[in-house]
Amino acid sequence: MNQFALWLASTPPSVFIQEHNAWAVPAIQSVHIVGIALIMGSVLMIDLRILGLAWTDRTLQQTTNRFGPWLTGSLWVLLATGLLMVVGEPVRELVSFSFWLKMALVALGALVAVSFQRALRRHDQQWERTVAQGSSLKLLAVVTFFVWIGVIFLGRLIAYDHVWGSWSPAKRL
Amino acid sequence: MLEWLQRTAVAVSIRDSLYSFPVLESIHVVGLALVFGTIAILDLRLLGLASTDRPVSRLMADLLKWTWAAFALTALTGGLMFSTNAIVYFHNTFFRIKMLLLVLAAVNMLVFELTARKTMARWDGGPSTPPAAKVVAALSLVIWVGVIVAGRVIGFTATRTSVPAQAQPDPNFEDLLGLPEK
Repeated sequence: MNQFALWLASTPPSVFIQEHNAWAVPAIQSVHIVGIALIMGSVLMIDLRILGLAWTDRTLQQTTNRFGPWLTGSLWVLLATGLLMVVGEPVRELVSFSFWLKMALVALGALVAVSFQRALRRHDQQWERTVAQGSSLKLLAVVTFFVWIGVIFLGRLIAYDHVWGSWSPAKRL
Repeated sequence: MLEWLQRTAVAVSIRDSLYSFPVLESIHVVGLALVFGTIAILDLRLLGLASTDRPVSRLMADLLKWTWAAFALTALTGGLMFSTNAIVYFHNTFFRIKMLLLVLAAVNMLVFELTARKTMARWDGGPSTPPAAKVVAALSLVIWVGVIVAGRVIGFTATRTSVPAQAQPDPNFEDLLGLPEK
């Protein structure tokens, strides 16, 4: 991975971002933050609907139809800007414990979001009365919210990977 | 005053800790993500671009308590981060721009209360909103994106005061778990 990161850092797109890092890096990061903000807003609303704390005049299906596309759309924006950050600063991102743990949590969060939307579309009315009222879905809602909070924490911790001690591969460089 | 602030016990303990600042920053980002995420939902409704099938008042009831709670969290963590290096932040151009934008956001909100909000009973349920509400909503989105950009640039232009070399940093994560040093 170190070799790959060093190679990536020598490629023209990476060199371009490195040469313009004064504005490019904060600009990309700002779009990335706006993206995670839209995800947090959408996840909060869907989760509150599952918990019966908001959007109670709309069905779970209607609420998910309203926010699901924003969630997945923002995920693509985050993937694109995230990729640009990896290209721009390969060693900082790829040689970091926080980054890889974050990727695992992102995969988990995205998997839950996508499979939940699919299941809801498939089961529709019947789900609304049974599973949607159950406590396991409520638990999933709370857990998912904290998965995304974990994603934000780990994203910020990429800049402070030393907090992980020797778990941080950067320490061995 | 600034000098006193960054000499307080709280500011010193955050500066001397390996974790405090990164954790405060993380909570700050969670808070601002929820602030912007919830405000954007309301602004898009006021612009007639989303959730137009729901009354604006219902959206406000669903959203604004979370917006304020998240804002309180963001202001608290922001204040604590400010205290660690008050003089440098106070003189940072982007910090000042961010504070100015926050004031503008408050004024914008006040304008909404004094204009469109007064007639809300008439347009609350329908998909269309008065021009004043649309202008306020568009400005709100621009101002809050500006707050995010300015906030991010502060991190690149204001450097943390370095921790004195003799200060003993906190044990890292591994030490906390009692793992042997490799």
